[in-house]
Amino acid sequence: MKKIGFFLGCNIPFNRPDIEYSARYLLNELGYEIVELEGASCCPAFGTMPSLDLVGWAAASAWNLTIAEEKGVDIITGCGSCYGSLNEARYHMEKHPEIKEQVNKILAKVDKEYKGTTKVWNFINFLYEDVGLDTLKAKIKNNLNGIKCAVQTGCHNLWPSRAYPTNEDNTFFPTRLREICESIGGVAPHYSTITDCCGMGALRSTASEKSLALFKKKLDVIKQEIDPDIAVTGCSSCLLQFDAGQALLIEQKKLDYKIPALHIAQLAAIAMGADPEKATAMASIPLNGVITKIKGGN
Amino acid sequence: MEEGGVNVIDLTQADESFVKELEALGADELRECIQCGKCGATCPMALAGLEFFIKRIVHAANLGLRDILLEDSSVWGCQSCNRCVEICPMDIKPYEVIQAIRRAAMKVESCPANTYEGLRNLYRFGHAVYPKGYEERRKKVGLPDKPPTVISNDEMRKKFQEILRNTILEEIAPFPLD
Ligand code: SF4
Ligand code: SF4
Repeated sequence: MKKIGFFLGCNIPFNRPDIEYSARYLLNELGYEIVELEGASCCPAFGTMPSLDLVGWAAASAWNLTIAEEKGVDIITGCGSCYGSLNEARYHMEKHPEIKEQVNKILAKVDKEYKGTTKVWNFINFLYEDVGLDTLKAKIKNNLNGIKCAVQTGCHNLWPSRAYPTNEDNTFFPTRLREICESIGGVAPHYSTITDCCGMGALRSTASEKSLALFKKKLDVIKQEIDPDIAVTGCSSCLLQFDAGQALLIEQKKLDYKIPALHIAQLAAIAMGADPEKATAMASIPLNGVITKIKGGN
Repeated sequence: MEEGGVNVIDLTQADESFVKELEALGADELRECIQCGKCGATCPMALAGLEFFIKRIVHAANLGLRDILLEDSSVWGCQSCNRCVEICPMDIKPYEVIQAIRRAAMKVESCPANTYEGLRNLYRFGHAVYPKGYEERRKKVGLPDKPPTVISNDEMRKKFQEILRNTILEEIAPFPLD
């Protein structure tokens, strides 16, 4: 059985454990043994150590990477920030041996050593490459029954491409998440603002109204161009904006339609037979309609 | 701190020593910027309407406009999305210019309050985002109350804290590291 280390981060286990439930279900269904990364911390988030110091950032990321290294596994994460922070730290250490050296001096104080042997995956690239679309297709229990998906890959899942071991052919025209949705029975057309930022993150904390206005602009284009049944994200922070952020826009009477949203781990888990109640337990925008459509497919 | 105003570039305030400081903090290609504006064309901050967005920030950084860069909150609105890094024809890595400015601001405690909250949570709990009531949410989906992270492993949490105490956080954290 193939093994994979599941890196939880913060938002998934604390705010959206329905993604954690789904990811665990999905990985098991796909035949992976989940290795717990006991003692893993925050990636660290970009507004924390990375904004203080490069070596401090790399040391905190390396703490997490060594936990996986010691268990001899690669890492998968559902959060774009975790994917970005861990991979960028990894890239900086690989490119600048003196940073790695300084990091290892710090890690030595707790008897750890960073080697650089662990690869960090997100769900998009993992499903696309390690699992493969054919395997994914072969394991479906509930075909998505043609539901129309608007995909949101997420910034950190794309850029900076130099830091990532695998990526889209053209990061400004991503297709992998679309192909994944289609392989489990959805329809996932391109739309013109597909790579636009959702606005979640530092912008949301610093200039909340502008962040939500940016998000609304994206939603309006999605609605007009493809009018989807659901939005599907590759990043848990994007999901927070697409779900809770959208609910906020509706509450503020700035939006007069609804597009339910799920992380790809949730949608794929449902396609593999996960309990939809649990898989969507924390959603603010109800998914009943979408689930009914999917259920009608088998 | 206010969001950036329009007239932020004041040549009389140019300070070469601040350019050098930023270079040392990671903005090492800063001087090669040709102000082509490509970074700004992809930057979510610019698209969201922040007036002091990445192209102007790099311009101001190149002039060493210390005060405006440390006072304006725009650098804290950066999404760390790296679109600018991907697109810059001169390989300035504009995002790393943002990080350098943040690092300089942190040293003089000129950053938004929520930055400290994230750092404090990171140190105390090992998680920058640590919202209340998560046990209930986890129970609802049949997961154990606490995830198997540093939050349920005191020994590992202490080791992680020791790592952080051996970084620059020890010098500049505006809260006790005990
Ligand atoms: S894209 Fe690069 S060269 Fe062009 S303005 Fe931005 S930082 Fe300068
Ligand atoms: S990393 Fe920051 S500065 Fe660069 S494009 Fe993204 S939001 Fe703009």
